[in-house]
Amino acid sequence: MITVTDLVYEYPTTRALKGVSLHVAPQTITALVGPNGAGKTTLLRCLAALEDPYSGTVTVAGHDTRAEPRAIHALLGYLPDFCGLYDALSVRRILTYTARSRGIAPALTATAVEKAADRVGLVDRLDTKAGDLSRGLRQRLAIAQAIVHEPKVLLLDEPAAGLDPQARRDLSALLVALKTAGMTLVVSSHILAELEDYCSEMLIIEDGLIVGGKAIKVKDVERPRYFVEIAKARSDLKDFLNARAGVDVIEADEYHALFTHARSATARARLIRDLINAGFDVSAFGEATKALEAAYFSQVGAKAEIGR
Amino acid sequence: MNPEFQRNVWLELTPLRLVVMAAVLALAFFAAALSNGLITPGGVARALFLVLVVVWGTHNAARSVVGEIRDRTWDSQRLSSLGPGTMMWGKLFGATVFNWTGGLVCLAVIAADTLNTAGIAAAFAEVVYYVAMGVIATATSLSASLIGARRRQGRTNIEVFLYQVAGLAAALAVAVIADPTGSSIGTFPRTDTLLWWNRTLPTSTFLLASLAVFAGWMLTGCYRQMRLELKLRNGPWVWLGFLAFMGVYAAGFDAFAPLHFDEITARLMLAGLVIAGLAYVAAILEPKSKVQLRWLGGEFGRFHLGAALSHLQCWMMSYLVAAAIAVALMVRFAMLAMGPELATTGAVLGFVTRDLGVIVLMAMLTRRRGGDLLALAVLILIYWLLPSILHSLQYYGGQALFLPYRTDPLWMSPAAAWLEAVAVWAIAVTQMALSEKSSR
Repeated sequence: MITVTDLVYEYPTTRALKGVSLHVAPQTITALVGPNGAGKTTLLRCLAALEDPYSGTVTVAGHDTRAEPRAIHALLGYLPDFCGLYDALSVRRILTYTARSRGIAPALTATAVEKAADRVGLVDRLDTKAGDLSRGLRQRLAIAQAIVHEPKVLLLDEPAAGLDPQARRDLSALLVALKTAGMTLVVSSHILAELEDYCSEMLIIEDGLIVGGKAIKVKDVERPRYFVEIAKARSDLKDFLNARAGVDVIEADEYHALFTHARSATARARLIRDLINAGFDVSAFGEATKALEAAYFSQVGAKAEIGR
Repeated sequence: MNPEFQRNVWLELTPLRLVVMAAVLALAFFAAALSNGLITPGGVARALFLVLVVVWGTHNAARSVVGEIRDRTWDSQRLSSLGPGTMMWGKLFGATVFNWTGGLVCLAVIAADTLNTAGIAAAFAEVVYYVAMGVIATATSLSASLIGARRRQGRTNIEVFLYQVAGLAAALAVAVIADPTGSSIGTFPRTDTLLWWNRTLPTSTFLLASLAVFAGWMLTGCYRQMRLELKLRNGPWVWLGFLAFMGVYAAGFDAFAPLHFDEITARLMLAGLVIAGLAYVAAILEPKSKVQLRWLGGEFGRFHLGAALSHLQCWMMSYLVAAAIAVALMVRFAMLAMGPELATTGAVLGFVTRDLGVIVLMAMLTRRRGGDLLALAVLILIYWLLPSILHSLQYYGGQALFLPYRTDPLWMSPAAAWLEAVAVWAIAVTQMALSEKSSR
């Protein structure tokens, strides 16, 4: 869906991107991670056809950002890192303006507004002025603005900034739902924990370059990683799990196993029951939540090793 | 309705503001009516129109883009599906809709006042004059703010004020030249008719038509700036059309120009000078980014002439047209055996080439905003300080190094001009190459 080749971008005094190449597959959620100043926002702005590259090419859904920027704008939703709102307007008017300016026909605008507001939990505040919203609610409104026209590609720069834990969880669910509905998402953040719940691929950007040169498959959101811990050592733990349908063991020893499994509560319950029935003293079972972090530090660590 | 205009109406035309506007206007006209002829309602309406549409309207037009950038809503607007025309009209008349609402009331009073005292033709002329002044002033401010956005200028109130001043300057120019009740046109006394392209035309009709055409060009300029902000490319033909219009328009005033040449030569000189002036203005205002120059060079290198033409900036096209006119003039002077004029024209073209090189070089050297101010400082040094020093040292021949003076031998001034031009451009190109190498 997005292909970047040898992208170089220069500000007047510094080269922010130094030959970035990447590919983002359709209907995925890709995390763009890296330290502050690494070039994440600049890269997103180049993907959004808001900035002209010094050299290299960016294509989104087959459109080149330099040759057809308006075609890209039309299929894009973009949430910048600091998204402004018209404080004197109500949520309804802001979303109506965005929907209309995004080409939604007048007859369909009200429905699109209601749907976007519903997706971010702002239906009960449609007539509240944006200036009266809390920081978290303003961020939700900004996200609603980015998705009101159901874009094919959604670029989000620090989308969870200012959101409370519940809203972050809701955001994760929303992004997964948008992906399931067919969108391709690129989410930039320097907080890995925030991306853990919904990203399946990760691009690490550091000093204007993609570490490792490509996206890393972190996890399958539909088949997350789970761990199991047993109190008494059993050498057949790995074989037992591998024999279960839908289980793929990543690593295991006599006490622990890490494996992928369908994101289904029923299937998980059945697996736990099978383990207990087979005499395994299960002392802990849960989703492994540090996949992204582990992948990030393994890549950055590898780079550091090479640098030595 | 245009969504951008609609949004501005929501923000600007609140019931409270409309009530306050109506109350203020009613009180002002009522007070004028009670002043026993000391102030007329028409006079108050003229003053209020200037305050509402010209002074306040230029502020709002300037803020319509800078405010979006400052409030971080501009990127969302740039990504919207609104075309440049829709966005331009929505901003120009949306951001100023409150001002025009009051302005329209004032226009009605102005028209009624003039209708009573001078008849329908004068009333029509005055309404056209005020509308054109308001459109030109606000469009200039909007255009200036769009140029500022492309140059990545700041987004503070100082920038808003500067763009507002640009609009006010345009309004002042309209007032000085085209006021239908004025007694002069610029520095010339106003007469009932004027001579343009050897035709005697009624002054008021000519000025009104000129105002309407220039307002149209100003709106076209706004539209094209908006296209660039929305990442659309502008082809060369509209700017070339504008240059042709300006050349033809200026050339028609040969009867007013203090030039002691034949008609054709004088007209060529007027057109050339105006277009060269536009080259300077465009060179200062347009962003001179390395990226653009790189893409332009790339397209020429691949012989993609169509694409290369679309990358040409306005100052480049203006320079090429001015140079073509200068060459035509030189051929004419050569045919007429006018050696000194031939040399001076060659020198002028050389100095223009050098000056544009200075502007580009300063932009490359500073790599930040401020290159244009530095270029202006260098040009002041070249055109004023250094010649003054040489003059005070009584080395008059040396002044020809910096100004297109007639020299003995004749070739010295053009030779100096072109030597400087080649040197400045060589340094500029080397600087570009070095900065590209260093940033790799």
